[in-house]
Amino acid sequence: MFPDIGTPIAEAVDTFVDWLVVTHGAFFEAVAGVFLAVLVPIEQVLRAAPPPVVLAAVALIAFAASRRLLFAAAMAFLGWLIGCLGLWEPAMQTVALLSVAVGIAVLVGIPVGALAARSRIARAAINPLLDLMQTIPSFVYLIPAAMLFGLGKVPAILATVVYATPPLIRLTDLGIREVNRAAVEASRAFGATRRQVLTGVELPLALPTIMQGINQTLMMALSMVVIASMIGARGVGETVLIGLQRNEPGTGLVGGLVIVLLAVIFDRTTQAIGLRLQAHRQARS
Amino acid sequence: MNRLTLALAAGLGLATPALAQDAPKCELDRPVMFGSLNWDSAQFHGAVAKYILENGYGCETDSIPGDTIPLINGVARGDADLVMEIWTANPAQAWVDAEAAGQTIALGTTFPDASEGWFVPTAMVSGPDAVAPELKSVTDLVKYKDLFADPEEPGKGRFYNCPAGWQCEIVNSKKLQAYGLADAFTNFRPGTGEALDAAAETGSLRSKPTLFYYWGPTWLLGQYDFTRLEEPAFNKAKWEAMMAADQPTEATAYPDSKVVIGANKAFTEAAPKLAEFLRAYSSTSAATSAMLAYMRENKASADDAAVQFLKTSDDWTGWVPADVAERVKAALGT
Repeated sequence: MFPDIGTPIAEAVDTFVDWLVVTHGAFFEAVAGVFLAVLVPIEQVLRAAPPPVVLAAVALIAFAASRRLLFAAAMAFLGWLIGCLGLWEPAMQTVALLSVAVGIAVLVGIPVGALAARSRIARAAINPLLDLMQTIPSFVYLIPAAMLFGLGKVPAILATVVYATPPLIRLTDLGIREVNRAAVEASRAFGATRRQVLTGVELPLALPTIMQGINQTLMMALSMVVIASMIGARGVGETVLIGLQRNEPGTGLVGGLVIVLLAVIFDRTTQAIGLRLQAHRQARS
Repeated sequence: MNRLTLALAAGLGLATPALAQDAPKCELDRPVMFGSLNWDSAQFHGAVAKYILENGYGCETDSIPGDTIPLINGVARGDADLVMEIWTANPAQAWVDAEAAGQTIALGTTFPDASEGWFVPTAMVSGPDAVAPELKSVTDLVKYKDLFADPEEPGKGRFYNCPAGWQCEIVNSKKLQAYGLADAFTNFRPGTGEALDAAAETGSLRSKPTLFYYWGPTWLLGQYDFTRLEEPAFNKAKWEAMMAADQPTEATAYPDSKVVIGANKAFTEAAPKLAEFLRAYSSTSAATSAMLAYMRENKASADDAAVQFLKTSDDWTGWVPADVAERVKAALGT
C-alpha cells in the first residue's frame, strides 16, 4: 500500500552529505570563516570590555529605547545580576552569538517579509518553508551543518537563524499588509515609485509590528542557546548542558536563570522601542 | 525373543539418528538466556555466541534486554546465564560483589584491549600526503598547534575533548594541563557524543588535521583510519596523582581495559561444554570495531554482522571443537 520513499530519501541524503563534506568542504569552511570574521571580534570586544562599561552600555541603550531613567537602571541591574550568578563571560559569548544571528535574521527576514507582503505567489511559496523551519527538529540539520562548517559557533548561528527568522518574516509580512491603504494610495497619487512606497510609507508604518517580530526573533534565538551548546558553541547554554549531563539541577538552574535574565533585558528593551514607535505613530495620526 | 530383539533393534534404529553428529543435543533443556546489553559491541558478540550455540551445540537461546547493573544482578540470581561484556578495569560494584559471593564467574575475553586515547587521522601522519610525519606522541603536539588551528580562537589549536559532563572530559582536561598544552590548545567540548563523532568523521573524510579523544571498539575506529598518539605508559600511582591534582604536571595513558564474558556459576556447572566454548571465546577490539563499522555502513543488524563475521573470519574456529565448527560452517553454507 505504501511505496517506500523513506529509504531512498535517507540514502540519497547520506550520500549527498558525504559528497558535500568531501568535495566542497573547503568552500563551506571558507563560508564559516566569513561568519567567524564578524563574530570573533564582537565576542572579543564583549569579553575584553570591563563589565561596568558593558553595564553602562546596557543602561544607555535602555534609556535611548524608553527615555525612562528607572527603566534603564533596572536593565543595568539585571545585567549586574548575571555577573553575580558567576556567568558573565559565558553570557557575553552568548550575546555575541545572538547579535550575529539576529543581525542575519533581520537582514534576511525583513526583505523576505516585504516580498511576501507584496506577492501572493511568493507568500504561498514562503509559508510552507517557514512551517518547515519552525518545526523540523534542529538536530536533523545541526549534525550535517557541523560536519560542513566545523563544530562550534557557525552551525549554531545557522540553526538559530533557521529557527528564529520565521516570526520576523511573518510579522513583517503582516505589518506591511495592515498598513492603511489610504496612506499608500495617497503616496502613489503623489507619484511615488514602488520602492519609495515601500521604504517611505509601508516600512515606517509597519515598524511597530516589525519591532514585535524582532522581539520574537530574539526570544526564539535565546531559546536555541542550549541546542547550540550541543554542537560546541560556548556560552550560557553550555552551563545548562553541563548541569543536565552531570545531573546537577543547581548548575542547570543557574544557567537557565541567566538565559531568563538575558531574555528579560532583550525583551523589555525591544518592547520599549516598539512602544515608542507606536506612540510616535499615534501622535502623528 | 525374536520379538524382543526386533523391538530393541527398532528402538536402537530410531535412536541412532539422534546420536549422529548433525543433530547435537544441548546440555540444557531450556534456552540459554543472554543478558542483552543495549550497546552495539555487546549486541554483536551476543549474536556471534548465539549463532554458535544454536547451530554448533543445538541449543536454543533467548535474551533479556537491559542495562548493565540490572543484568549483572540477573546473572547473579540466574535469571540470565551470561552477559557478553564485563569491563574489568572498572567493573560495576554489582559484578565485584557477585563474583566474590561465588554467584558469577568470568569466562572468555570478549576483547582484551578496549582502549581510550587521543587520535588524529592516519593520513596526516603517514603516507605520501602526510603533513606531520614526525607527529608521534602527545608531547609533539605543541609544535603542530597551527595544523589544528581553532578558527574561533586565533593562534590556538583545537583539541576535541569529550562532551562536558563525561568522566573522560575531566581526565582529558587534566592531561592537557600535564602535557603542557593548555596554552596552545583550546579545550573544546563538543556538547554531545554525536557532535564529537561528526568532528572526527569530517577530519577523516577530508584528511583534515583533527585532534580528538576517542575510544574503542567503536564503529568510528573500524570505519576510518585513525592513529592513536603515544602517551607515557599507564602507571597507577601517576594516574592517581594526576587525578588528585588541580594543576597536574605528569600524566599517563589511559589503562587498556580487558572486557570479558560474565556468566552465572551454576550455568557453567550445568553446561560444561558450553562453558568451555565461552571460556575459549577471545575476540579483539579491531575485529569488533570492523564489524561495528560493517553494521553501520550496511545498516545491518547485530545478527547480520555475526553471520558476516563467522563467514569471513577464522578467528572463531579455535574456540570450539572441530565437530562444532563443522556444524556451524554447514549452517553458514560455507
